[in-house]
Amino acid sequence: MSNTITVHRLDQAKAATDQCVHFGFCTAVCPTYVLDAEENDSPRGRIAIAKDMLESGAPPSAAAVKHLDRCLSCLSCETTCAAGVKYRDIIDTAKEYIENSGVRPVQERLFRALLSRLLTTPSYLSFMMRAGRPLSRLGRRLPGSLGALASISNAPALRAFEPRTGLSAATHVVPTRRMALLSGCVQSVTGSEINASAQRVLERAGITVIPTQGSTCCGALDLHMGRRQRAIEHAAKTVKTWATQLECGEIEAIVVTTSGCASVIKHYDELLDLQPDLAPLVKRVMDATRDITEVLQELPMVGGDAVRGAVVSYHDACSMKHGLKLTRTPRNVLERLAFDVRDIAESHICCGSAGTYNILQPAIAERLGKRKAGHAESCRPDVIVAGNLGCLVQMSRFTNVPVAHTVQLVDWATGGPAPRGLENFIPKAPEESIAVAESLQPATISTEDSLW
Amino acid sequence: MVRNENMSSNDPIERFAQAVADELGADAVALSDDVLTRYGEHTLPSADVRPGAVVYPDSTLAVQTIVKLANQFRVQLYPISNGQNIGLGTKSPILPGQVVVDLGRRMKKIIEIDETMGYCVLEPGVSFQTMHDELIRRGSKLMISPTAGPSQGSILANALDKGGGSGAYADHFGMSCGMEIVLGNGDIIRTGDGSLQGSEHPNWHVSKYSFGPFLDGLFSQSNFGIVTRMGMWLMQRPPHIEPFFFTFPEDDDLGEVIDLIRPLKQTNFVPTMIRATNDLYLLASVATHPDYALGGGKVTLGDAERRKLRESFGLGAWTVSGALYGGSKAAVAPQLERVVRHFTASGKGRQISLEDAEDLKPLHIAINSNTGVPTDSELRMLNWRPGGGAIWLSAGTPVLGSTANGFQHEARKICTAHGLEYLLSNVCGARFARSVHAIIYNRSDADESARADACYRAMSELFASRGVFVGRAPTMYQDFHQAQRMPEFVNACSAIKHALDPNGVIAPGKYGIH
Repeated sequence: MSNTITVHRLDQAKAATDQCVHFGFCTAVCPTYVLDAEENDSPRGRIAIAKDMLESGAPPSAAAVKHLDRCLSCLSCETTCAAGVKYRDIIDTAKEYIENSGVRPVQERLFRALLSRLLTTPSYLSFMMRAGRPLSRLGRRLPGSLGALASISNAPALRAFEPRTGLSAATHVVPTRRMALLSGCVQSVTGSEINASAQRVLERAGITVIPTQGSTCCGALDLHMGRRQRAIEHAAKTVKTWATQLECGEIEAIVVTTSGCASVIKHYDELLDLQPDLAPLVKRVMDATRDITEVLQELPMVGGDAVRGAVVSYHDACSMKHGLKLTRTPRNVLERLAFDVRDIAESHICCGSAGTYNILQPAIAERLGKRKAGHAESCRPDVIVAGNLGCLVQMSRFTNVPVAHTVQLVDWATGGPAPRGLENFIPKAPEESIAVAESLQPATISTEDSLW
Repeated sequence: MVRNENMSSNDPIERFAQAVADELGADAVALSDDVLTRYGEHTLPSADVRPGAVVYPDSTLAVQTIVKLANQFRVQLYPISNGQNIGLGTKSPILPGQVVVDLGRRMKKIIEIDETMGYCVLEPGVSFQTMHDELIRRGSKLMISPTAGPSQGSILANALDKGGGSGAYADHFGMSCGMEIVLGNGDIIRTGDGSLQGSEHPNWHVSKYSFGPFLDGLFSQSNFGIVTRMGMWLMQRPPHIEPFFFTFPEDDDLGEVIDLIRPLKQTNFVPTMIRATNDLYLLASVATHPDYALGGGKVTLGDAERRKLRESFGLGAWTVSGALYGGSKAAVAPQLERVVRHFTASGKGRQISLEDAEDLKPLHIAINSNTGVPTDSELRMLNWRPGGGAIWLSAGTPVLGSTANGFQHEARKICTAHGLEYLLSNVCGARFARSVHAIIYNRSDADESARADACYRAMSELFASRGVFVGRAPTMYQDFHQAQRMPEFVNACSAIKHALDPNGVIAPGKYGIH
């Protein structure tokens, strides 16, 4: 059974488990441990379970499956770990091991296979969204994953991200650069307004947007579900296509607006390490892949009057914070455009979206989603913002505050439409700005009642 | 309650645990092997110290119940808050078989935040991260003084253990005000103005020294009672915080550095604590020992390699960090300019601008902590050597350059003689600098563990021989340090212990008090 995972990767994962020296810093930043204080639902506990499971070579026990399935793969633990444990190696291998073991009940295996196929095939997803929406209100009452799927498909964010018609970049800038924009398998169907905003912003800056050819799926969702082989197939396909486009000068970069995708693309060398012939292409693609905010921060954007003072609760998507390690860049981009950006409490804790987690572990995901939305609301924002579609959909289920992608705000500030829910925003009058600690200032401050 | 099959039903801990379960519910106690093993783990150079049970109270009354039952069954307790004191004992008790009272699991309420008066009242489980998050959530004008240690560490316990932080409110015990305590005899007392009979105590958490003796100090680094709530003062966040950095090239520049810091603190020109941190203490958070495998862990990193490593990060042998407060960046600029002139006057010190510091990962810790943001990144130093061993030695020095530099010479020699690296950060106030030594070693290597142990003892003896005592101490060395004291002081501690905890149920041996 375990021979479906290469010896090399099994050894790598086992070696990673040996690195754990039980400091325990990971426990307090693990979303599931924070909820229930259950050791086996902490990274340290899961590492012990994975170690036993991988070393035994036997089919995983029901307890192992339960606790490893509950991991969100948010990698908050990896960021915190003082011993440098490569938790990503451990959890990815453990989830693949379980997936390959065949221990899941038939109906669960079938559901997971269907889910994978549905989410990574835009034509199927598009059809299901249209066909299923009328039934989704009823479906929400279903228990477990089906109910969660129905609830998510009815999330307010999905309506907010529906495509608009008749809008263009409205620019006379002569294009001088060309970049590909990853439309994404799920995002191309459920977040098309995000892609449209990104296109408008880039075109306004003189960048011609070339649609990504070939696969729209980077493999992240399958990898998250332990379906590594399918993730590899997606990754290999995209690498070949994009590398060709890069090689012939058709594009200079691949721009990604979903950090969940970018964080996996940035690890394609690990995912495709058994295809050495692809290595030069993989490197080229990894080097050329950039989160949209990394591109935006280099652009001479002007604007801000229409959005001045709009209060933004900025949510760090785990894939952005722990995967790409991008925390300041999106904030800098928004602050430059006169948004009032506020950090939210427990920024290191996942919102519960985590790929397909909110479908497969709906009860835990709901608790995390409510907790995160509550923290975001407490900043009394005009809008809750993140750089990852999944997080926005998840949070929108538990709040009445509008949600938007970072690039939608940039689009709005630079002449595009207001994100849905913000059409009536009234900009605040300019005031003398108060300089604060530039780097990591956590909260807006007031000089009221102080002597400064 | 999960029973431990290795215990007989006559075992007093088993009977105690059953009584706790009966009184407080089955979820309030754990006896299972996996839990006890986990709570026994630590990073010190000795075997794990497995507790006899773990109990999880959810209130002061529940703590009182546990203490009364401990008296009844003659069971020893060992209270912890969040148990994050890595390098000092973690969650493990002083002695095997003591029952860990895990206050952090269920007693983590922020009881009060008084925005007007600038204080909060906390239970033991409230961490620096939780408090920081709550202030953000409320849009508060207040800020915390975080440590450079685990962000999940308990604010209350850090203060009780005389831990220090960053910023102007860095003296955490000094900033505590008003406690509620369950004594070893089961009594519940409130200190300060909280001791007034009745239910209204407006001065409890704003006045430290009202009528009668100041009892709060008895409960820091001791075992006379279990503190279940505490007031902590919080500072109003200034509109602008300007972190600053200077680096000095040579080991022997420490004397000049310390002498330059003293006037800045004695005049309060710089409101924050000022840290003077050596190369490896900073760099261990971003690098591992480059020659560890080559030398089998037995040889300390050579001076040439150390210089090469620090220069690759653009840092010198000592780096100074602190921060200025003001109404705006422009308002702070003249102060910063004065500080720059001060530190660069001799030509040895070089300023690292804030912009450059933001690109230097080892300096992020100081930026974060001085702006009130908890950070875990310093703890990556624990990976300097493999094997997860860490001991913290907190000695100190008067803020006198010659004294501090003299200690540096001798302590560095001791570390080198034991095949270990010298990692030191001096946290400087106006007159005293806490000198935090990190001994990082491979706990899975018996020889290296023995050398780490010997190194700690040798350094402690060096400091004691010069009249310098330690501050916080790892659990396994607390008896050792108590024995360095005048016997009359030790006897006084024992007398207080017997008065407040006649059956000795609360952590006998903690800080050497029996």
